[in-house]
Formats: sequence, structure tokens, C-alpha cells
Amino acid sequence: MRHQRQPLAQSLAAKVILSTVLLSLGVVWLTGSALYSQLSDGIKRVNLESSLADARSVFYNARYQFLLVEGATLPQIQAQVTDVITSSTTLGNTDGAREIILLKVFTKGEAATNGQQPNYSFASNGLLATTIPEDLRSKISENSDLSHQFAPLTYRTGKTIDALYVGQRVSIPDSGRYDMYLVFTLANQGATLDIVQNSLLLTALVLLLLIALITWLVVRQVVKPVRDAARVASLFTQGDFTQRLQVESNDEIATLGKAFNEMATSIKAQISRLENLSQVQQRFVSDVSHELRTPLTTLRMASDVIYAERKNFDPVIARSAELLLAQIDRFEKLLQELLEVSRFDAEVAVLEPTDFELVALVRRCVSDLGVALDSPDSQISVVLPNSPVHIRADFRRVERIMRNLISNALDHSEGKPIEIECVETRTEVAISVRDHGEGMEEASLTRVFDRFWRADPSRARTRGGTGLGLSIALEDARLHNGELDAWGAPGDGANFVLTLPRIAGNEISGRPLPVNPHKRSEVRNEPI
Amino acid sequence: MTLVMVVDDDQDLAEMLGIVLTGAGIDVDLVSRGDEVMEVFRNNPPDLVLLDVMLPGLDGVEVCKLIRAESMVPIVMLSAKGDTQDIVAGLEAGADDYMVKPFKHPSELIARIRTRLRRTNADVKGFLTIGDLAIDVTAHEVRRGAKLIALTRLEFDLLVALAKEPGRVFTRDSLLSEVWGYRHSTDTRLVNVHVQRLRSKVEHDPEHPTIVMTVRGVGYKAGVVGAS
Repeated sequence: MRHQRQPLAQSLAAKVILSTVLLSLGVVWLTGSALYSQLSDGIKRVNLESSLADARSVFYNARYQFLLVEGATLPQIQAQVTDVITSSTTLGNTDGAREIILLKVFTKGEAATNGQQPNYSFASNGLLATTIPEDLRSKISENSDLSHQFAPLTYRTGKTIDALYVGQRVSIPDSGRYDMYLVFTLANQGATLDIVQNSLLLTALVLLLLIALITWLVVRQVVKPVRDAARVASLFTQGDFTQRLQVESNDEIATLGKAFNEMATSIKAQISRLENLSQVQQRFVSDVSHELRTPLTTLRMASDVIYAERKNFDPVIARSAELLLAQIDRFEKLLQELLEVSRFDAEVAVLEPTDFELVALVRRCVSDLGVALDSPDSQISVVLPNSPVHIRADFRRVERIMRNLISNALDHSEGKPIEIECVETRTEVAISVRDHGEGMEEASLTRVFDRFWRADPSRARTRGGTGLGLSIALEDARLHNGELDAWGAPGDGANFVLTLPRIAGNEISGRPLPVNPHKRSEVRNEPI
Repeated sequence: MTLVMVVDDDQDLAEMLGIVLTGAGIDVDLVSRGDEVMEVFRNNPPDLVLLDVMLPGLDGVEVCKLIRAESMVPIVMLSAKGDTQDIVAGLEAGADDYMVKPFKHPSELIARIRTRLRRTNADVKGFLTIGDLAIDVTAHEVRRGAKLIALTRLEFDLLVALAKEPGRVFTRDSLLSEVWGYRHSTDTRLVNVHVQRLRSKVEHDPEHPTIVMTVRGVGYKAGVVGAS
């Protein structure tokens, strides 16, 4: 089976798959985004709650620890602070890093009066106090409750990481008030969200691929019969009506296939009916022509015998004998041409090419039609090449074309001069036959080769042409792969140009002689 | 008086042919069936047979073969078909000439018949040679050494035409006019078929002729003695 690769733009399947994938991409993108934001919100909320609970217990513990050392010695307080700091970074710590910052709060003038009070300010991992967002600091100073804020955490190394800051103001005995911050880094949460995001992206990708695959499978079900139909239809165009679509199911596609097949069957039936009709008709014409020959032969001989004796008859009978013979001649010619036409119609006309010389043939055709060529007052003048023109063609047919063209010109010349010209090129020969008779309307030019067609039905034929001559001449020319062109203008006569390939069957590449004789000067002949 | 056998199933045409031929001083035997030809032929051998292709009983081409098997009498086929294959089939069966119905002029038929009946080379007498063949024109015999070669009258005439002018190249058209008596005809198939038939009888190897030589693009000429 022939399989045609089509460009993307022309493939229905590709179009459907592309648009499905694009639309699905939008849907997947929207649902993915919504899912992601819900998931990340949830994760953040859970994280926040657990962090705040952690922080709450840390702060509660710190405040309690500091209360315990109320009034104790400085080293005891010192030890307690260290203990709180250590435990804060580990207490309830289940995941990720946690930092602690303790900042002594200086109220106005305090620094001067209590200069000796110990300062327990501390920051784990050497964090700078500047990393704490200002908003949170002011919130803590105004509010004794636990406060929190999301903000980036910057380490000394310059590394920045998202973090949750939770802070509260605490008091340490014999030292004063401190702002205590717990910083929960969100590295874990970020990693979780990254995983979620990656899984979502991967899922989306796989989903899209699957959608594309499914679409392709579905589309193929629909498109394959359509493609088959197109392939079979194109075979029909080439004249092969034996192909049928395979109908396997009962769906709409099958209905299409059935209708298609029925159409093909009906077309085929019509064609063969017409072919039969035309064959029957052609055979009939051929048979009639053949069957007519035997009686015509008898008729011809009988009239010849009578004609030979005409001197012994009375003038009326003698004239009748002449007319009888002339009409039998004409009848015979018509019969011959009908037979030839039926051969062309049946496409059994065969070219029998031989090598011969064209100029002599043209001269002989003229003299055979009873026109003396070389006398000065001859109606026909010829412009022929001086050297012989050798061509390979069907002698009988070329002779017939020339006879038809010349006798047609004589018929319509009204006694005015006729010019015959022959030129040759490397690949073609051309002969024009020009008369200066009544000419033709332009509309007649297309019909001049039609069978039995007359330019003016009321005009009598002078030479008793059959009305088939030009039609046969055209068929003869085309059988050689040549061409026969006609030109005419009312009052300006007509011109017929026969162009033949030098070797019958070759293509002709142009017209060495233009059909319009007035354009003659514009064309330069190709030298040989 | 000359006797021509006319074989045609169309009674009217046969009668008309009879009238025309009788008018030209030729006796006529009319036969209407192909399978009756041989009996009449043996009882009353004609000088020429005018034979239609389409015949009841036995096809004209078959009749032609039967006559050729027994006689070298000139045979002219009459055919209502102008198609090449019918003509060639007739010629290959042994016919000397053919005419397509309807004849251009009945006088043309008479002329053809007379050509076939005439001794075309009446001006040539005595002996001729062509290649390694000896032709006794007067006795109408062709011999290779002592062996007699049987030729039809047309084949004999064709051979003599070539032999009497050994240096000349004959175009097919000139052979048509000299041997067949055509004034102007273009059917060179007639020449081709008969040259083939003649070669099959006189040549040692018809594929490499030494008697009737082809001159490519022109026609034929007589072979020279000793030429390979």
C-alpha cells in the first residue's frame, strides 16, 4: 500500500494532536498551579503552626528558667542563660536548623546608669542582629505576645535562606530585658515544595504525552479511513476503478466508505456503458464502411462500363453517366474518410513512418490536384527550400494532409493566388498553405477542424469536399506529434500551418512558421 | 485466350468482374466458394487467379496457400480491408499483388492483370547470372549448379529485373513500376514481402543475403559472383 507522507500543515492528525496538546497544556498548567499553591500553602501553614508551638514552649521555658534564678549569684544566672540558649536550639527540634538571637534592650539612659550590669546578648552561628527584620523588632517592643514574621536569613558567609522569625521580650535577672528571637530556617520546607513542584511538572509532562498518544490513537481511527478514501479517490482519478474501501464496522466512517464504494461502482458502470456504446458505434461505422465497399466496387465498375460507352448515348444519358461516375468517386472518398475517422476514434490508427523527401511530395500533391506549378500564371506559388528536406514520417498521411490543405485552399481561394511555403529547422519542418479567399471569422477557427463543419452552410462546395478532410488532417498531424494550426480573417483569406517533427513521434519545440502570416517578419528562422 | 479465375462470394460483383474482363478480351471462370476453388482450378487451370479474402467455405488466404502448393500461377488478392495485416497475410500466403476494393478505376484492375500475364522481361532473352545462380530467361528456369529452383512468375520477374542490370540500385518505387506495373504507388510493403519470399527460396542464408542485396536507405541490387 502506498503511504503518503504529508507536511505537518496538511495532516489532519497532526493538527488535531497539536491543538489537543496545546489546550491540555493550558488545563494542566491551571490545575497544576492551583494544586501547587494549595499544597505549598498547606505545608507552610503546618510548618508555621509547629514552629510557633515550638517557639512558644521555648519562650515559656526560657521565661521560667530565668524566673528560677531570680536573686541568684551572677555565675548561676550566667550558667542558666547558657543553658537556655543551648536548650533553645535543640528543644523540640525535629527538623532543620534553628538559630537563636538574644539582644539586650537598652532603654533611654539605661546604658549610662547600669553600665556594670552584665550583657548576655548572643547570636548562634555568629548571626548579626541586622538580619532581624525591623518590623518584627518594633512589633516585639510594643507587644508582649509572641510575634512572628517570614524574612530571609543572611549568614556571615553571605548565604541567604528563607526563614521564620519568632520573637518575644524576656527578662533576665540582674541584667534587664532582652529581645529573644528564634529563627526557623525553611530549607526543609523549600526542599519539600521543590519535590512537590518537580512531581507536578513530571506528572504534567507524562500526562501531556499520554494525551498526545491517546489523541493520536483516536484520530488515527478517524483519519485512516479518510486517508484511505483519499488514496482510492486519487486512483479513481487515474482511471483505476477496481479499488474499493474496506468497510469493517457500522459507524459513520463505514457509511462514508459504503457510499464511496457505491459511487465507484456506479461510475464504473456508467463508464463501461459509455465505452460499450462508443465501441459498438465505432464497430458499426467500421462494419458499414466495409460492407459498403463490395457493392460500391460493383457500382463503380458498372458505371465505368456505362461511362466508357457514353459517346454512343443521347447527350442527357451521357451527362448522367458522367455525374454518376463523379458521385461514385465522391461517395468512395467519403467512405474512405469515414473509415479513417472510425480508426482514429477507435484509437487503432497506426503510424507507419518511412524516410522520404518532403519537397517532392509537396510538388506532386500540387500537380496531382491539376495545378501546373511552374507556369507563370499558376494559381499556386511555392517557396520551397532548394535542397531536399528529408524527414521520417508516415508518407501516406503527410501526403493526405497536404492534399487536404491544398484542395481546401483551392476550394476557398475564389481564384485568387495561393502560396505554399516550407521551412525546416534542426528539429521540425513546417509547411504553410495560404489563400486570399473570403477568409473566416475568428469564431470559426476553433470549429474549422470539426467534422462536416462548414463556415457558411449556404455556400456551395465547388470541389465536392467531404467535410472530413481538415479533421483527418489534424488527426494525422497529431499522430506524428505534430500540430496543424489555422488562421483566418474575413476578407483576408486563411492560412493553415502544418508543423511536424523531423522524426515522427519526437516533440516539436516550437512553430518555425507562425500561423498568422502578418507576423511572419517578426520571426527569424533558425539556421540549419 | 487468357483465362482468369474470379473467386468472390458476391454474385453481383463477380458478374460485373466477368463483364469487365470479358470486355477486355479475357475469359472468366466464376467461383463463389473458397472450398470449391481447387477442384475448378485442377479441371481448368487458369492463367491468373483473382481471389477475394473473405470467402465462405475456406478463407482466401488459405486458398492462396493451397494454390501455391500446386502452381506458380499469378494470384491477385481482392480485399475490402485496407488494413496492413490483411494485405501482408495475403502476400505472405503467396499472392503476387493485391487490390483494395473499391478499385480506383476498373481499368487499373485490367492493367494489373495484364502486367501479371505479360512476360515483363520480354526484351531479355537467353541467359543471365546473379550471384551463383544461372537464369534461363527463355525457358523460365533458375538453377544453382544443376539444381532447379522453383519460383513464381513474379519472383522470377523480380529476380530477372535485378539480374539484367547488375550494377544498378533499384529503389522500391522503381521495382514497383518495373515488376508490378504500378504507375505511382507508395505501398512498398509489396516489395518488402516479395523480396523476403524470393530470398527464402534463392539465398543460402536469407539472414545474410548474397543474391538480392539490401542497399540501406535506398533499395536493392543484384549480388555479385563470388561476393561473400
